Amino acid sequence: GDSWGILTFLCAALCNLPALPALNCTEEPGAGQNIQKTYDLTRYLEHQLRTLAGTYLNYLGPPFNEPDFNPPRLAHAERVPSATVDLDLWRGLTDNARLAANYRAYSRLLCYLRALDGQTGTAELRHRLGHFCSSLQGLVLSIAGVMSSLGYPLPVGPSAPPGAPGAPNDFLKKMDDFWLLKELQTWLWRSAKDFNRLKKKVPPAVVTLRLETRGF
Amino acid sequence: MFSGRNWVARGLYLLLNICSLEVYGGLVQSCGHILPESPVLALGSNFTALCILNESCLDFGNIYASQIIWKIKNRVVPREQYREINRTVSSVTFNDTSSLATPLTCNILADGQIEQNIYGITVTLGLPPEKPKNLSCIVHQVLKLTYPMTCTWNPGRHTFLDTQFRLKYRWPHENFPDCIPKDVNNSCTINEVLFFVNLEVWVEATNALGKAESDPLVLDPIDIVKPLPPHNLSVNSGILPTVLKLSWENRISVAVMKLKFNIRYRIIGDTNWMQVPPEDTASPRTSFSVQGLRPYTEYVFSIRCMKEDGVGYWSNWSEEKTGVTTEDKPSKGPAIWRIIDASHSPASWTVHLMWKALEPFEANGVILQYEVTVRPKSSLSSPPERFNVNTTNLTLKLPNGTYEVAVIARNRVGASPPSVLLIPASNSKAPVKNVRTLPKDGKLWVGWTAPNTYILKYVIEWCLVSNSSDCIIEWQNEPGNVQGTYLKGDIKPFKCYLITVYPLYADGQGSGQSVKAYLQQDRPSKGPTVQTKKVGKAEAVLTWNHLTVDEQNGFIRSYTIFYKTIDGNETAVTVDPSKTEYTLSSLASDTLYTVRMMAYTDEGGRSGPDFTFTTQKFGKGEIEAIVVPVCLAFLLIVLLGVLFCFNKRDLIKKHIWPIVPDPSKSNIAQWSPQVPAKHNFSSKDQMYPEGSFTDVSVVEIEADDKKSFSEQDLKPFDLLKKEKSTSEGHSSGIGGSSCMSSPRQSVSDSDEGETTQNTSSTVQYSTVVLNGYRDQTPVQVFSRSESTQPLLDSEERSEDHAGGGDSTTRRQQYFKQSGGQDEASADRPCFEGTKQITSDDEGDLVRFAQLQVLSQSSQLLGFDLEKDTQEAALSDVSETSTEGQMVRPETGEGNPASVDQMPKSYLPQTVRQGGYMPQ
Repeated sequence: GDSWGILTFLCAALCNLPALPALNCTEEPGAGQNIQKTYDLTRYLEHQLRTLAGTYLNYLGPPFNEPDFNPPRLAHAERVPSATVDLDLWRGLTDNARLAANYRAYSRLLCYLRALDGQTGTAELRHRLGHFCSSLQGLVLSIAGVMSSLGYPLPVGPSAPPGAPGAPNDFLKKMDDFWLLKELQTWLWRSAKDFNRLKKKVPPAVVTLRLETRGF
Repeated sequence: MFSGRNWVARGLYLLLNICSLEVYGGLVQSCGHILPESPVLALGSNFTALCILNESCLDFGNIYASQIIWKIKNRVVPREQYREINRTVSSVTFNDTSSLATPLTCNILADGQIEQNIYGITVTLGLPPEKPKNLSCIVHQVLKLTYPMTCTWNPGRHTFLDTQFRLKYRWPHENFPDCIPKDVNNSCTINEVLFFVNLEVWVEATNALGKAESDPLVLDPIDIVKPLPPHNLSVNSGILPTVLKLSWENRISVAVMKLKFNIRYRIIGDTNWMQVPPEDTASPRTSFSVQGLRPYTEYVFSIRCMKEDGVGYWSNWSEEKTGVTTEDKPSKGPAIWRIIDASHSPASWTVHLMWKALEPFEANGVILQYEVTVRPKSSLSSPPERFNVNTTNLTLKLPNGTYEVAVIARNRVGASPPSVLLIPASNSKAPVKNVRTLPKDGKLWVGWTAPNTYILKYVIEWCLVSNSSDCIIEWQNEPGNVQGTYLKGDIKPFKCYLITVYPLYADGQGSGQSVKAYLQQDRPSKGPTVQTKKVGKAEAVLTWNHLTVDEQNGFIRSYTIFYKTIDGNETAVTVDPSKTEYTLSSLASDTLYTVRMMAYTDEGGRSGPDFTFTTQKFGKGEIEAIVVPVCLAFLLIVLLGVLFCFNKRDLIKKHIWPIVPDPSKSNIAQWSPQVPAKHNFSSKDQMYPEGSFTDVSVVEIEADDKKSFSEQDLKPFDLLKKEKSTSEGHSSGIGGSSCMSSPRQSVSDSDEGETTQNTSSTVQYSTVVLNGYRDQTPVQVFSRSESTQPLLDSEERSEDHAGGGDSTTRRQQYFKQSGGQDEASADRPCFEGTKQITSDDEGDLVRFAQLQVLSQSSQLLGFDLEKDTQEAALSDVSETSTEGQMVRPETGEGNPASVDQMPKSYLPQTVRQGGYMPQ
């Protein structure tokens, strides 16, 4: 009786096979593909930032454009999210938490970057900054996409930049800009690592096999 | 100027219109209006318009909705489409808007007849936009960091309305400003795109009748990039002569995309590209070493790139760069061949060695020189001779023998392997067989059948055969395993080539087998010139020369001789091409023939010049056949005649020369002490001994006698006289000697008197032969004398008479005769006498006249021997000789005047008588 049932099932499956989109390759980009794209974008942003930072630091002028310029982090600059998280601590975080932290950080950095956008001097620099901004916006969206594809909830509304007053003077403002770029570099470097790791965890292309049989 | 005026006019017109409208609408006020105002309608849809009349007008003009007439332009809309809704409203319905046009007017028939316009609307017809289809996008890299994205789509049908297209794109949670195409409706370019985030793109089309959206396209712009090709391509020669290293710069960052490449290359001048295997260049890089190239060759390179994973578009090919590989030693020795000239001296050869310059791919560099080594085979101990040459030939003088010649080509890097050629004493090995040619694809193919033994290689020699130039030998090598090849050279059509194939063995070479060939044949450029060698009665031998090679243009397959008479048909005869002579037979005799000749190749023939000849009337030997028998017959007849005459000679003799008794043989002569000398007679006389021919007297005037006409003739006359006087005694004594006396004497005897006539007339005494004097026909008279004996008497008498005393008187008489005619009458009695005699005679007039003459001469002889006025007499003779002949017939008539002249002609006869003088 059981064998008969199995046979009926197989026959029904075979009969319906040509009529049905039995093998469905999922159209929507899967999580792995999203991660890969996010990773590529991170690398691309790193690459962009490398040239942009050089140009921008030159725009800021000395001492910011000096290669060995390494000022101590001022407490004032705390409004820029710091990437200096302990490595072990960072590793200890779940994927979700890490992604959420990335998401929050870039959202915030983006806000600062947009503020930076309007002030800069040359059109070329503005254009580059604008492009970088757009790309960073894309990264934020990408991370959101990865999180959603992995089924993680999006962190609730990125905390609006605190209404902290602007830098008291031009130098400190430049210092903020310097640290912003510096933090961006660090975050992008770390994100790249994160996504590379995540990429390995999740297979790049998810092919969902769905066998749809009407008889059952 | 004109346009300005036009504008002014338009302005005025507008102003007037506005005024009138105001009057109409404002002051006069319109009596109604149409709903809807200025509609935009879809083609093919249905449409209803309402005309609403104002209440005021109803009262004022007594007009109602039932009076409304709808018009499209000036055409009245059929009443079936109207509907009167109420007193003031009329509607019109169109089932298909395509019948509509602008303006649609509402009119009214005022007072029954006058049509008044109430209101009008413009109707716009069109179509709603179609859904844009086939949306596709591409990101062109323009600069290093500039990536505009261009999307194109199919806008669909024409809508007849102003339709707006917008390219919309967005991120999942973020919208971007629309891209609005400029001037076109099927493409738009977004200036800046961001990579690695999926973008949703779609097109929206909008017009007054609706809106349509294309299917959205979700893409990551990085997947549709067409990058810029790599630039700054450079080519460097590597260490190996077969390797070139390419390096370039990519214009797209690895962070943006990783690239793979295609590299293509070709030998400069060649059009075919070769490609580096794509899998070798499928990873990001900025340099590549291309291997397997030919040494010392210039290559052209070009490169392109695309995203490593193959998603997107290939870039254009980069600019081309060239590079040259380094030199290598020549890969093979030059092909070598020789021409042996043994004609100069028997003991040694002149060997022209020649070799072919290596092809560039074999030379692998610049050939600096060739090394030729000649080693005699027979004496291996003797050192080889070496020659270094820059040219590709070498002429050597070598003693007869077998040699091994080796040629090495040398370039900067090294030397080629040697090419060896044996120069043998004789080409003793097996030759190839069945050499044949075939023109193929504009080239000449040569094929042969190989001998059974192993062949190292073949040498194919060829040259153009021409009269104008020597056979310049070209040649080529072919490997030993082939049995056919194309000639590598400029082979011209219509030219004869002599192709020879030599097989080369490891230890010698076979003799060459030749064949003649044409790449392409043509008709001969001229025909053979024919002429006759011999023309007979019914046949003619034609001869011609072969066409020269340059004229042939192909193989002469046959000749055709065409010959015809002027009005006859042409006859053709085909002749074997090897012949140069042909005999036309069965020709008509004595006929003009025109002959010409055509030479044929495979492609056709050409005729030579016409030649005409006339056949002979008689055949060969025909004339001879006629003439010879005729001659023979003639000869035979003559012979027969002669024989007949000979046989019948007695009869003839009797007839012609009757036997006259010879007085000398008479008894009376036997006692004569002397026989008169006969030395004056001709040899004929002498042939016959005395007695046999005694009855013939031949009178001839010898050359000596003719001298008697000169002044010296006086003497002979004297002598004659003397002799006569001296011989008088003898003759009187010897009666028989009278036969030797002159005929004149005998005639004169007969003439002398009637007394002797009766006695001597019975015997034929002598024959008188008269030679014509000065072309005058002589008259022969044979006068017979019947008497035998009385001759002596008459002779004596004539002698007596001549020696008579009154000779002087006679002479006078003679002179009188010659002097004038008047005196001749005085002599008449003398002539009358003769006349009487002749009248007695019954002979013809001529004879009679002759007799007269003879009598006269005898008279002259008798009387004038002692003439001393000789000259006068001679002149007279010359004068009268012709006259005498003329008057001769007259003498028969007895004309005294002519008779008077006659004696003048006696003188030559007198002279003739001088021939007898020795007697």
